[in-house]
Amino acid sequence: MTDWCMVIDLEKCVACQGCSIACRFENNTPAVSPQESKNGRAIRWNDVFPLPLHFAPDQGEYPNVKTHYITRPCMHCKNAPCVKVCPVQATFTDEEGIVHQNYNRCIGCRFCTVACPYGVRYFNWFKPEWEETLAEYRNPDQLSVNGSLEGPAVRPTGVVEKCTYCVHRLAKAREQAKVEGRDFRPDEYVPACVQTCTGKARFFGDLDDPDSTVSQLSKSLRAIHLLEDSGAHPKTLYLAEG
Amino acid sequence: MAKTLSRRDFLKVGGVAAGSATALAALKNVMSAKASTEIKTAAEEKIVASTCHLCSAGCGILVRVADGKAVKLEGNPMHPVNQGSLCPKGQAAPELLYNPDRLIGPMKRDRASGKLTQIQWAEAVQLVAEKLNTLRDAGHPEQSVLMHGDTRGQMRSFLARFMEAVGSPNIVSHESLNVAAAKLGTYLTQGIYGLPAYDLENANYVISFGANLLEAGSNPQRTISGYTYLRRGRATRGKVVVIDPRQSITASKADEWIPIKPGTDAALALGMANVIIKSGLVDADFVKNYCFGFDNFTSNGDHKGFRDFVLDNYDPAKVEQITGIPATTIARLAGEFAGNGPAVAMLPGKGGLLNGGFSGVYTAMAVHMLNALVGSIESKGGVMTQHYMPCADYPKLPSDPIATAGLKTNRLDGAGSKFPLGRNSYQSIADQILEGASVEALFLYDANPAFETPGGKRFSEAFKKVPFVVSFSSFMDESAELADLILPEPTFLERWGDDHIEGLGYPGISIYQPVIEPLYDTMNTGDFFLKVAESMGGTVAKAFAWKSYEEVLQFRLKDIGADWELLKELGVWFNPGYRFAKRGSQHWIDNIVGSERMNAPRDGYFDLYSRELNCFLGGMKKDELAKLGISQTGDNANMPHYEPTAFVGNEKKYPFMLNVVTLMSLGPRSDAANMPTLQEISGMTVRETWDSWLEMNPQSAAKLGLVENDQVKIESPFGRISTKVKLVAGLHPNVVNLPFNQGHTAVGRFAKGRGVNGLEILNPASEPLTGLASFTNTRVKVSK
Amino acid sequence: MQQTLNLHDREELIAPLYQFDRKFWTTLAVLIVIIAPGMLLYARQLVVGLGVTDLNRPVFWGAYLVNFIFLIGIAMAGTVISAVLQLLKVNWRRPITRIAESLTVFGLMTAGLQIIMDMGRPDRLVFTLLYGRLQAPLLWDIASLTLYLLTAIFALYLQLIPDIALLRDTSPASAPLWRKKLYTILSLGWTGAKEQWRRLEKAITVVSVFIIPIGISLHTVTSWLFSTTVQPGWKSTILGPYFVVGAIFSGIGLLFIATTFARQYNKHLKEYITETFYTNLGWIFIVMSAVWFYFTLNETLVVVTEQETLEFPVMASKLFGEFAPAFWGMIILMIAATWILVAPKFVSDKPTPNPLFQSATGLVATAISIVIFFLLWLRLPVLAAPGIQSILIIAFVVFLILALLGVTKWMKTRLITSTVIASAFVLFGMWLERWNILLPTLTHARLIPYTTYNPTITEIAVTISTFGILTLMFVVFYKFFPSISIWEVEEGRALESDSTH
Repeated sequence: MTDWCMVIDLEKCVACQGCSIACRFENNTPAVSPQESKNGRAIRWNDVFPLPLHFAPDQGEYPNVKTHYITRPCMHCKNAPCVKVCPVQATFTDEEGIVHQNYNRCIGCRFCTVACPYGVRYFNWFKPEWEETLAEYRNPDQLSVNGSLEGPAVRPTGVVEKCTYCVHRLAKAREQAKVEGRDFRPDEYVPACVQTCTGKARFFGDLDDPDSTVSQLSKSLRAIHLLEDSGAHPKTLYLAEG
Repeated sequence: MAKTLSRRDFLKVGGVAAGSATALAALKNVMSAKASTEIKTAAEEKIVASTCHLCSAGCGILVRVADGKAVKLEGNPMHPVNQGSLCPKGQAAPELLYNPDRLIGPMKRDRASGKLTQIQWAEAVQLVAEKLNTLRDAGHPEQSVLMHGDTRGQMRSFLARFMEAVGSPNIVSHESLNVAAAKLGTYLTQGIYGLPAYDLENANYVISFGANLLEAGSNPQRTISGYTYLRRGRATRGKVVVIDPRQSITASKADEWIPIKPGTDAALALGMANVIIKSGLVDADFVKNYCFGFDNFTSNGDHKGFRDFVLDNYDPAKVEQITGIPATTIARLAGEFAGNGPAVAMLPGKGGLLNGGFSGVYTAMAVHMLNALVGSIESKGGVMTQHYMPCADYPKLPSDPIATAGLKTNRLDGAGSKFPLGRNSYQSIADQILEGASVEALFLYDANPAFETPGGKRFSEAFKKVPFVVSFSSFMDESAELADLILPEPTFLERWGDDHIEGLGYPGISIYQPVIEPLYDTMNTGDFFLKVAESMGGTVAKAFAWKSYEEVLQFRLKDIGADWELLKELGVWFNPGYRFAKRGSQHWIDNIVGSERMNAPRDGYFDLYSRELNCFLGGMKKDELAKLGISQTGDNANMPHYEPTAFVGNEKKYPFMLNVVTLMSLGPRSDAANMPTLQEISGMTVRETWDSWLEMNPQSAAKLGLVENDQVKIESPFGRISTKVKLVAGLHPNVVNLPFNQGHTAVGRFAKGRGVNGLEILNPASEPLTGLASFTNTRVKVSK
Repeated sequence: MQQTLNLHDREELIAPLYQFDRKFWTTLAVLIVIIAPGMLLYARQLVVGLGVTDLNRPVFWGAYLVNFIFLIGIAMAGTVISAVLQLLKVNWRRPITRIAESLTVFGLMTAGLQIIMDMGRPDRLVFTLLYGRLQAPLLWDIASLTLYLLTAIFALYLQLIPDIALLRDTSPASAPLWRKKLYTILSLGWTGAKEQWRRLEKAITVVSVFIIPIGISLHTVTSWLFSTTVQPGWKSTILGPYFVVGAIFSGIGLLFIATTFARQYNKHLKEYITETFYTNLGWIFIVMSAVWFYFTLNETLVVVTEQETLEFPVMASKLFGEFAPAFWGMIILMIAATWILVAPKFVSDKPTPNPLFQSATGLVATAISIVIFFLLWLRLPVLAAPGIQSILIIAFVVFLILALLGVTKWMKTRLITSTVIASAFVLFGMWLERWNILLPTLTHARLIPYTTYNPTITEIAVTISTFGILTLMFVVFYKFFPSISIWEVEEGRALESDSTH
């Protein structure tokens, strides 16, 4: 069984935010108004940010300063705190380890957003809006999982959304393999952030395949999980700096 | 063997204990649901290869066009600069294409009322052709001026040819705002007027003097690719050291960040040179056989060479006084640099750190010379020389006495006359016009001087004195707002064009093509000038026999090795693999060292003592040199040395140096400020959004009683602006930073009225020798 | 048992049910004015989205959730207290069982309302039934809330049956026909037959037994919403009992206020709800406050001492940071409430020569301590002199103690007033406690910089509206049903007379 996994090399990550924006255009998360953005309501499924001082207090004083930047997609935890608390099964883990979010099912209780220690889940405080002609560039891909729209489908107000490892791209890759009458190979698809990464810092693949890049990298001495102590068993891996 | 109960087992046991078999089945069901998926997508899809035009890197892109709409950009894996990657600007490009504030057709402005009226393209062509013909008939074609921004590829030579055919020498590039200082540094030493390309992939040790490798250099994506390969793409990891008053993202990611007193980089470089020479770590072969002026020499008398000059003047202890960097650190850096080759010292391609007077050019020379000392010129892991794809020569221009006369006049911007070392002085156009120079027609291509130059408001005044201002901007930017004719060009996703691949040394071409039909009634400026030429008739029409700009491209690129169809399909063509020239070979002399010197001998010697500079400064008296801001005399003036920056504003009253920084997100182009996504992510490092901010060291702020997000007034001798303050620990206490590309008064709804433009309060003067703009010699006062 | 009802009772308890006088309509109008803005703003929230609140990432929950926990807290006490006392056959409970049980029902209803108001998609509420995921604590909470609400309504109704029958039989001729019909239907043919009484008593006992664990479960499960997550400040094993104690504590507070409100509204009730009730329930109140302090100490001291990286900043924000006003406000309110309840017990009824306990002393000391407080608050330049500040702080504490001692005598003579004041303190303190549990954790996320939360006008208006609705339910309900359980009072009297004879 395929076990999807992402590895991010923080030494190659240059905090350019290309991943954030590739995700935005792939998954139809429009920019919010300036005021909303200031209120902390911007929606970027993959976010890039300097680690807050309270989390990484060793950033020092002038001239011995080191700011740490991190890029953060969904961790697709094996023991996902969000899945555990969802009262209506709107978020669930599929057999390949991807944590889905069903917009048609979500009741907007925001328990998952509260439970997620990584803050990867976003809530539609208002209806997502594209100003005038900006709506033209929306990704037309319509992925339905078990009959409900997921992935890039435009969200209604009041539901939660999150990074899906671009699950619609996976579906397209599978479809392509089917059309060509052959078996699907796990290296035929990567999420948009991995594809665009300016530093080639992101790797994606099948953790079950011992020869895949991600499997090899997961054995690196630099491999760490973010917030390992939270017990969520995150699947997205980081390779530490240095 | 005893088996301990793992956490995972515990979960399972807990599950059993907690519920019945049904509950477990439900759990399994939910925890790993078999998802049945179905995907629907656009009816008609295609991928079109093109090139991004949102910064000077020119990355290759593959555009996903779904049902006639450009929905997503990806990096072109074939393109050697980005190799399939794409930065946030490129990713957000659909917001430029589908921007609601784009201009939808040509317009004419009535000067008296300021009212705009829609016109037809034919009328626009006629108006421009008539104007140019009138000027030519009057015998003053030089009174037409074309200012252009980051225009690369064939468009640059096309515009140059057009102005040449008309008969005006006045085609002015914006390079005096950014890359010219570094180019001059290379020119005065290596004898090549261009940005060096760095072989980061093979370098072992990289020391960046303010070069923003990872954010907004002249070619950020190229340096990111090189940097990450150096870090983790190969077996051994290279070391990166960043010298910068500000801890940029590059500096945070580097192994070492060394904050330096602003404007003293030359002293540091020479201090390192001192240690390298003293310790005998120089590449003896290179400095003895391929450099000029290392040792003392005799030519019309005795001259001091670089070695003695540096040994006499730049002892690390003295450099510590100047730079604020401990002598031991300087010695260590020098040792690491010379002992861990291949090593390379990088110049900032952009960012204006060198634009603080002629001292900036000396700095560029000093930094570039570090490469020479360790033999990193034209060697693996060192400096490469950029080669360009040979393009078919344009047919010879028909003889035209009017044009010949016009071309003989002095350039309006003073390059080559008022500014003897300068090649372009973009910002000084305003001064020339205001001082009474006669300009009858001004074309702005890819240029927004009213916003992007220090003291840009002068252009508003200057434009009033020019009867005919034409803007080709796709947006109603600050300069277009003052233009008489606004002839919107389609965005880069809707037009033909091309770009030379730079930064890798080897030559390549990357093309733009219309990925969708133009959305509005816009015209490629290339096509427009072809129509103007046709309408003008005579020699100008003869010089432009092509029907469309696409044809021009096909003609120019016919010999690059790929036919037009293949080029359209791949989007890019290049001759991979940089071959280093052998020292002293013919190739070396012809292309690598000294070949572009205009006055000094083109003998293949790398100048540690700049003979080219001697051609300008030699024989000047102390007071003449002092007027140019040079304190040294004689031989010393021809060698790179530390020249204290002549700050405007005294230190007591104005304690901070203002540094306007270009961000990876908003980038250098005005239209990018009107892309909501880029506005949203612009302040990532300080957690700000849709606004500008002033970065300040927390200790300096505490002294002023400022806390995070306080609204502060920033005052220089040239004006006052107000924004909020952000405390940034990684910043020299005497420097404040303000991001560029905010504070627009026009462009569109997303850009207008957000934050402030720091350039407004910068010194508008041009450097007297080179015509460079002044970016880093303005002091400011910050108060609540 | 024989049903007795004297004329006096009938006049005092039943006649007001048919008096729709000016006082009633004014109350109603005032309540509607209080409720309307919140409802209008909620309607806007429904249309536009939850963006009209100050919620953001990471503060995904705010005032609505605080209200929810608070409301189920006050709801819990009513029925549990009534049931416990019922099972213990405590006699003084009789006049207040009705109010206690109705508070439970209204509290739960408004609590449910908060959940709906907090949902992004209230239209999908039914999904919790259709697609409920059994392992989700929120589902347990919804189940528990529903069960508790149904049981509470059932308990309330059981208690009401004999009284409804009474209303049916004694309604004045002028009473509207629909009310008569309503009472006839609701009384379920109650005749007061011995068999009916036996069954009723049995049913009430059974319900009382069941409702206690259900009530406790609701509050425990609500605490699990928080304590089962991995968020700092919530991962506490004592959060369950802490919530339960807090619930009973605040529930008693509201019970006092509601009872007093009813007494004020219908002066005749004073004959039924006597000071004995205040004294007796007051003791339970004091015990609860002691237990509450015990848990609060536990929660605070452990975290402060261990200084764990994630937990400590959350606690620090309560002790010294942006939540300090709310935290110390809560502590002060609780101390004051306890003092008001406990202090009079130590003062004798007789006039005392001790000047410490004189009202005049209290007033003067209060005035002085207020002055000192403002001196400190305004940070006057006088304080700059060394030692002055410390002296003033000590003086403030001394005068405050004097003020507290001074008012005890006054409180001693006004049992009901002081109990209501204490209850109000407790209620406000408990609301703050819920705030202090919920928000510091949310504003101190791991990877997101610390942030703040300031409820918007919508959230404030909806909160006010909620308490308005609670009051409205109370007012309207007791226009249709007697606010004390007549038959239970009668039963009590009968028992009393039995024992005296």
